[in-house]
Amino acid sequence: MLLPYLRAQKEIPGVFGMRHIAISLGLIAAVTAFTAKSSFADGIDDKVQLCSGCHGENGIPQEKSTPIIWGQNEGYLYIELRDFKSGARKNDQMSAIVADLSKQDMKALAAHFAGLKWPNTAQPSPSKDITKQALTVIGSIGCTSCHLDQYQGDGSTPRLAGQQSGYLQKTMADFRDRSRGNNPGMSDLLNAAQPADLDPIAQYLASLTVIGGGQ
Amino acid sequence: MVGIRSSHAHAAAVGTLLAFSIFTAASAQEIEHKSKEAVKGAPSPTVTQDELTKAAQDTKQFLHTNGNYEQTRYYLGKQINTANVAKLRPAWIFQMDVRESLETTPIIVGDVMYVTTSFDHVYALNAKTGEQYWHYKHKMGPITTYCCGPNNRGVAVYDDKVYLATLDAKLIALDAKTGSLVWETELADPESGYSETMAPTAVNGKIIIGTNGGEYGIRGFVRAYDAKTGKLVWNFDTVPENSVGVWATKDATGKDLHRDIEAEKAQFAKTGDPYKTLGGGVWQNPAVDLKLNRIFFVVGNPSPDLDGSQRPGDNLYTDSLVSLDLDTGKYVCHLQYIPHDVWDFDAVSPPILVDVKDKDGKVIPGVIHGGKTGFVYVHDRKDCSLIRFSEPMVAQENMWSLPTADGVRMLPGANGGVEWSPMAVNPKHSLAYAINLHQPMTYQVQSNPYPDGKLWLGGAFKVIPSEESFGNVTAVNYDTGKIKWQVKTPEPMMGGALATAGDLVFTGEANGWFRAYNAESGKVLWSFQCGAGVNAPPSAYSLDGKEYIVVGAGGNTQIDFKRGNNIIAFTLD
Ligand code: HEC
Ligand code: HEC
Repeated sequence: MLLPYLRAQKEIPGVFGMRHIAISLGLIAAVTAFTAKSSFADGIDDKVQLCSGCHGENGIPQEKSTPIIWGQNEGYLYIELRDFKSGARKNDQMSAIVADLSKQDMKALAAHFAGLKWPNTAQPSPSKDITKQALTVIGSIGCTSCHLDQYQGDGSTPRLAGQQSGYLQKTMADFRDRSRGNNPGMSDLLNAAQPADLDPIAQYLASLTVIGGGQ
Repeated sequence: MVGIRSSHAHAAAVGTLLAFSIFTAASAQEIEHKSKEAVKGAPSPTVTQDELTKAAQDTKQFLHTNGNYEQTRYYLGKQINTANVAKLRPAWIFQMDVRESLETTPIIVGDVMYVTTSFDHVYALNAKTGEQYWHYKHKMGPITTYCCGPNNRGVAVYDDKVYLATLDAKLIALDAKTGSLVWETELADPESGYSETMAPTAVNGKIIIGTNGGEYGIRGFVRAYDAKTGKLVWNFDTVPENSVGVWATKDATGKDLHRDIEAEKAQFAKTGDPYKTLGGGVWQNPAVDLKLNRIFFVVGNPSPDLDGSQRPGDNLYTDSLVSLDLDTGKYVCHLQYIPHDVWDFDAVSPPILVDVKDKDGKVIPGVIHGGKTGFVYVHDRKDCSLIRFSEPMVAQENMWSLPTADGVRMLPGANGGVEWSPMAVNPKHSLAYAINLHQPMTYQVQSNPYPDGKLWLGGAFKVIPSEESFGNVTAVNYDTGKIKWQVKTPEPMMGGALATAGDLVFTGEANGWFRAYNAESGKVLWSFQCGAGVNAPPSAYSLDGKEYIVVGAGGNTQIDFKRGNNIIAFTLD
């Protein structure tokens, strides 16, 4: 039926600080669910350790070009692990990591990391002009029709809000030149943007918080 | 710390923040299955097949998503009418936990109302007071692949159950009294791109359901399941194994599609019939003709949306009206509006069964459909053939220019002249009421192989930011094809219409206005500001002799209209 696009942005709203509201029932439920699945837990404990080496002990990755996976959506985490394993998404570091993972491991890892709290990286808000540029592109391509209102994503669509800006920029560039080939739809959409738009989009998205979600 | 203002949330208030926080918690991946919120239990009367059959005459209840099996959305009550509608006022407002895109049609059984939200929550409410009986939250699987928002368009009711189809591609039956789960059936694998947003249809002990996924390379279907057990009764593939058709060079109205048939034939010789990943989702309920014992529904776009190079042929039965035998699901007839579509101009607005004049002026059973092209198509119910199409309700520019690598401008935009929004009819005036979008877009093509259940657009659609977008409410005479009246609205329209025997037409706008129009003249007779986009189809009912009009105001993800979480029931004093 439809698709992603939006109407022209007539007013460009600003970005402003808001008080964080604590939650989260969802998180508690997720953690409980994970505990319930603890039959895998033995199996993934040491793997989780391994992940921390790059994705961070506290959820903040060592490198700017490594994504936050704590609190990312479960379906998305699983799909990415699956795609690294099948080769649909290529990355030397990750391909080595997933080589021996079973489908069950991948599901358990996805549930585990989805249940952790998204870290606060306190990335700065970009200037008004950069924000405006980002919102114009986002508006005309309609990014929120899938990544949703607060860029929190859902299911197999990733959260973008508060992701590392260096990683966002890299992965969007990878989508554009199709070196990230595991979602041609995202590649096509980002090719409808200009190369000069990527940095503003990355900065804007990185500075966002999900209201009521992790910080 | 930084909060987000999304593009449409112009009024940021603390209330908004609270609503968001609740929403986020509710949408987390692992939700407790809280059917136990059913503290009181609803006084749900059972729904008989006879009631479902006679729903068109029923002014007390609203039993089907589109009012009745004919899907006329024509409500026979006249207590609220042109003379007094100016005095319509809210009877109650119910606020739901989920503040996201709202496309639900309220269903009313006795004095119980059922509404749904994004992410598949169901509420049973007291239709008189707006108080909650129970609240069901579907336990969503981790993988959901949907194109146009986490929408749900409502429930079907039959016997002592309420039926819902979910984003993670399940069909479920709830106990109407308590909201607890009775059975759950997996329709298809969401990892392959299947999802559900439509309301099911209940008929003769069967629950009929289609599927979304035309943006993901699925193979679409319409199915009937046993209402008691959830077991499959029949399956119809909306894409047959031979999907080639007749290599049509023109659309149903005779316009040249600019197909390169030679190139398509060469591709066909190389790669064969593309049926396995050809899309063909079904977004809206079928109309049911119990006399003919047939259903009529429309099928969505081929996958990938914009790139025809990998799918040679007419791509049957995408972009078509299709009729099946109700008992067996066997094909009876079809008419394809746009063979080999490369603009996402699929057929989505639900078809309506109504008597129409044929070419000789004889009154016959007809079927009408509001197309993304902006035409209202009028068919002969017997064989699906096209009798006429209306004047265009929206500007058609550059149709059918083929998408290019750099993007070609065309009108209508890919949301069409009419999107999924149901039309309503008033048979007294032979008028169909459609809501339209004017959204200039560019269509860009890019060829990619089938990505294994991932988004597969074959390019991109882009709104042209420098051009104006707007909408219309249009009344079309289906016996002549002429536009009777048209009213321009400031925003593109998405939601749906309701017509009443009080000579009114109700429909809402993205900017929060919900309005009543004079059915014959289009004059606006009443307006109410709902505070969020009114992008859901209204319904009507009566209780204790009092008529109500009810509608959801929750905005829309697909076109980013201001979100909210209200169900608002209106009545006269
Ligand atoms: C040697 C460093 C390293 C280790 C160890 C590592 N990762 Fe990664 N991971 C990366 C990098 C770098 C990327 C980004 C790849 C890219 O740019 O495409 C990534 C990407 C991912 C992604 C995709 C996230 C997204 O937003 O798309 C997931 C999921 C992931 N890793 C999970 C894991 C898990 C689970 C483990 C442990 C089993 C793990 N990683 C171990 C470096 C690592
Ligand atoms: C039709 C739905 C849809 C639309 C519209 C959309 N995305 Fe995506 N996006 C996805 C999905 C699904 C993924 C996951 C891709 C995959 O399969 O790995 C994704 C992935 C991404 C990622 C990678 C995140 C990560 O952690 O690696 C970024 C960045 C992104 N999208 C940005 C955008 C931007 C910016 C826009 C608007 C220009 C946009 N998306 C529009 C569906 C969409």
